[in-house]
Amino acid sequence: MMDGALMVELAPTRPGAHWLRSYGAMLRWEVVGSRLLYPLLLVSQVLVGAGFVVGFGLLIPELDRAAAQYLSTGAVVMSLILVGLVVTPQLVAQQKMQGSYDYVWSMPVPRSAASLATTTLAAVVAIPGIVAAMLVASWRYDVSLAIDPTVVPAFALTLACGSLIGSAIGHALDQPQVTMLVTQLGIFFIVGFSPVSFPADRLPGWLATLHEYLPMHHMALAVRSSLTDGLVVMTPRSWMILSLWTGAAALFTAVVLVRRR
Amino acid sequence: MTLTEARVETASAHSRWVFRVEELVKVYGSNSVNDGITLEVRPGEVYGLLGPNGAGKSTLVKQVMGLLKPTRGSITLGPHDLVDSPATARRLCSYLPQAQMPIDSFKVNEAVEIAGVIRGGKAPDVRRRSVALLKALHIEEWGEVYGARLSGGVRRLVGFAMATVCPGRIVFLDEPTNDVDPMRRRLLWEQVRRVADEGSAVFLVTHNVLEAENSVDRLAVIDGGHIVAEGTPSSVKAEFRGRMRLIVMMIPGTPDPVLPAFVRSSTRVANRLVVLINEPDVAASIVWAQRLTAQGLAEEYALGATSLEDAYIRLTGDTGQGTT
Repeated sequence: MMDGALMVELAPTRPGAHWLRSYGAMLRWEVVGSRLLYPLLLVSQVLVGAGFVVGFGLLIPELDRAAAQYLSTGAVVMSLILVGLVVTPQLVAQQKMQGSYDYVWSMPVPRSAASLATTTLAAVVAIPGIVAAMLVASWRYDVSLAIDPTVVPAFALTLACGSLIGSAIGHALDQPQVTMLVTQLGIFFIVGFSPVSFPADRLPGWLATLHEYLPMHHMALAVRSSLTDGLVVMTPRSWMILSLWTGAAALFTAVVLVRRR
Repeated sequence: MTLTEARVETASAHSRWVFRVEELVKVYGSNSVNDGITLEVRPGEVYGLLGPNGAGKSTLVKQVMGLLKPTRGSITLGPHDLVDSPATARRLCSYLPQAQMPIDSFKVNEAVEIAGVIRGGKAPDVRRRSVALLKALHIEEWGEVYGARLSGGVRRLVGFAMATVCPGRIVFLDEPTNDVDPMRRRLLWEQVRRVADEGSAVFLVTHNVLEAENSVDRLAVIDGGHIVAEGTPSSVKAEFRGRMRLIVMMIPGTPDPVLPAFVRSSTRVANRLVVLINEPDVAASIVWAQRLTAQGLAEEYALGATSLEDAYIRLTGDTGQGTT
């Protein structure tokens, strides 16, 4: 004996309630959907976070206190940026390669709710790497961090900005292979040529100037100033540039998410 | 409310939720994948869209689901314009895509329940319905098994359960029986009928003509972006009324035999030779088939009524190799 029909009506609920309910359901979908990946992600995030601190330390044998702080906080920023800018678009590309993209994006939920669920998961996944980087830093270089309340907006904005740019890339590029290539190049540029783990004045002048307008430098400033005492100064201009990038990326993501080919 | 009033209300509720596609055109570059498609599906009806690979079937469904944007034309469901509001389309339509569902790390029970909750069902209702549905499809023994460990056929059935646990006003099923074993196919078709009986419209996309003939109320044959025939299975094959089909299994490696004058048309796929004949020529055709067997050219033969497949082959020129 079968239960009766469960046909779903366009419920006359408030849009806010529908959004929240959808966000909750999609979060569950995402959490269950990637749980086989967790052990792998956990290990890789911890290795990246810790390895970054230890590995870059090998380049410079005698670290002074400021350099050690730079390196340790750089690892934290790197974890946050890579999860947003690299893991997020690769998750979207993976859906496209598996052929599940059409199903996921035909689900009866607001696309902003689905997208935010993915970002939420990315944020949680970033935590072990960040914790590992901090622990290893304090053990290896005896770095003590001075955490102030701006840590909340700094982490949130860095992660949101990275994830939004990342998902915009993932959705905008039709070919998943192209997405993979672009994100590989992104890693190369961010790790090697962005003032995240070293100060901007080490870069050639033109590149340093370019980074004044790109988000990575300001992400690093925000996170670094919230974790250390006077190592760098986060300026209102940096907050503004970071917010502008986040807003622009949100707008662009919104456009590509509702775009129909 | 009297019974008559109730019936009238049911009827008007039904007509409120008619699904209509009008003059739908989808152009890629200079290629019209859908070229002026018009069709209508009513609640309670199982409607089949048949056509060879690349005929434009999935393109049509993706436009309904808001994944592709029509170049021209309209898609409506009851009072709602689905082209204008893809968000409404996603809430009112449920969808089983041709690709397998992304459920590697889901247990079967979880996949169906979460899909139902995402579709807007309440958790306890969804769970009850999910248990009943898995049982009806005879896959309840896999309830606690991860998707990654399922065979293709069971995974397909789980996808069907995900799409119908909280069905929309219309349910799109793109090749639902792919990889499914014959016994469970029958169970699947029973559930498809049940979804329709409970008031949804069912829109079936397939190139499996034999299955469609037995399971749909009405169908359209699409080829080259056009609808080339539409109606009940009987009406679509009506031009073949008064004809019979003779199937001769040729011995591998033998050449095509010379066809007698009474043969109206013939197709050979591998060793299976299908000829259509008029009813008065039945006796002569059996004599001919017996002679082929006696000459060692054929292994066996069978005579039967013409099927939708004969009409389909004439309409599309597609021999349906591998799908029959």
